[in-house]
Amino acid sequence: MKAVFIFALMTLRMLFRRRTLWGILLVILLALGAISSVPNFDVSNQGRFILDFGLFGIEIGALLLALGLAANLYPRDRETRTLMPLIAVPLSRWQYLLGRFFGAALVQAAALLVTCLGLMLILLFHGLSIPNDLLPATLLIIVEGWFLLSTVFFFSFFTSPPLNWPLTTMLFVLSQMSVAEFVNVLPSAPGLMRAVRMILPHADVFHIKDPIAHGFEIEPVYFLIAIFYGLCYSIFMLSLALAVFRGRDLK
Amino acid sequence: MSEKPPIQVSNLSKHFARKRSIGSIQAVSNISFDVNQGEIVGFIGHNGAGKTTSIKCILGLLKPSEGKVSLWGGQPADAEVRKRIGYIPENPDYDDSFSPMEYLTMFASMRDLSGVESDWMNLLARVGLTKWETTGIRQFSKGMRQRLSLAIALQSTPDLLILDEPTGGLDPIARKEFREIILEENKRGASIFLSSHILSDVETICSKAIILSGGKLITEGSMKELLGELHLYRIVSISRKTGQEVEEILPEPDLQTRIDSLRKDNVSIIKIELALKSLEDVFMAATGGDHK
Repeated sequence: MKAVFIFALMTLRMLFRRRTLWGILLVILLALGAISSVPNFDVSNQGRFILDFGLFGIEIGALLLALGLAANLYPRDRETRTLMPLIAVPLSRWQYLLGRFFGAALVQAAALLVTCLGLMLILLFHGLSIPNDLLPATLLIIVEGWFLLSTVFFFSFFTSPPLNWPLTTMLFVLSQMSVAEFVNVLPSAPGLMRAVRMILPHADVFHIKDPIAHGFEIEPVYFLIAIFYGLCYSIFMLSLALAVFRGRDLK
Repeated sequence: MSEKPPIQVSNLSKHFARKRSIGSIQAVSNISFDVNQGEIVGFIGHNGAGKTTSIKCILGLLKPSEGKVSLWGGQPADAEVRKRIGYIPENPDYDDSFSPMEYLTMFASMRDLSGVESDWMNLLARVGLTKWETTGIRQFSKGMRQRLSLAIALQSTPDLLILDEPTGGLDPIARKEFREIILEENKRGASIFLSSHILSDVETICSKAIILSGGKLITEGSMKELLGELHLYRIVSISRKTGQEVEEILPEPDLQTRIDSLRKDNVSIIKIELALKSLEDVFMAATGGDHK
């Protein structure tokens, strides 16, 4: 695991030095700033509005970060031939995959925490209190981000980055849909649609922005179950990615 | 019991599926050869002959369609086997945002090597990258990237060096330095497998050569076998009576007798020179000069 750790640090350094990260982070922070500047009717509504849209912005940020950071990692490594000396000698394929994933996951988590900090500052700027569950809610979005990241890695082993973006975004949208919404897409085959929905990820478990915005307390056990679910799904997607990667010829 | 050869390739074939059409491209077809301990083996062939594909099969980057590759009797994917290999890929490249020193430090940690920073400084000096240790690789020329690649390959003092066109982007002086380092490594005990287009490099340093053409192994053997055991000499003489110029090529044992006879016949000798058969001659003869 030492090689994975070192390679993850190498990936982390590399991603911090690329402009993509800072560009996406700037866009998310500007979007949060824009949300806070929307005029509102009264103070309690404004707090809900900022929290609701702020957490939604952070969630979209998780998707953008997953795609922006990882969609091009493996294709670029192949294109620039950086991959060959790595895979040929010091790293095996699973070490490469995990190293790249952990590096990108740490960068993504750090960036999302910065956006959470941005949201806190906006709340304070408007004289509003910071809800206790804001940080745990961001943690859940980070776990969702890791799941999205593992999906991006999975697609990156057999599609180009321009195709990875719509595929991951499509899975992200589908994972937000409830069973009823999903069945409505093809009402003639409700059984099939229910089965497909069961297999697809349920990203709605990561969303607690509405209860937080309305001041409801969230049970700690809910966080643990949601995190466990997210991690299990990420491991599943990474296993699929590794199976695809192992079967690939590195021409 | 003695260790198995560093590289054993038996009946290796590799074909790739064609994109958007039926059938496949046969990149390598049923080749077999060994690289024994301490040998420097040249692997030569024109573009598309199957050299890089074979090397990637040897390293486990490509899965052979048929046949077997073993390194010291083990699989290319074995961690213990990989620890003993140094590899320079064709046209190597590295992430631009790092410096050579950062790369060497990270590679050393990944490979669990015991060296310290001063070791890597010396290594970079050895490959001619003194004063460039902390410069971003984005500022490096192709030749400098090749040098960094050599440093990374040498970092673990490997038992086997697999070099895929290592001198491709280098000027003559850098090529000479490269050759010297390869010879030093061989003297240390490393076996070398050198794929190259530059036949003079192979001829200068290799003890054995393997010639590929169209994915097939055309011929292999020691340099002596390929170039011929005997040195040949070219004598150019001119008859004082007729003024006719004559050129002869003779094996070394017959040389003195012929010189004596020419002198006796009152023939002026204009030039005596070595007429060695070059590897290029062997290569052209073996492949028919084809570029298939």
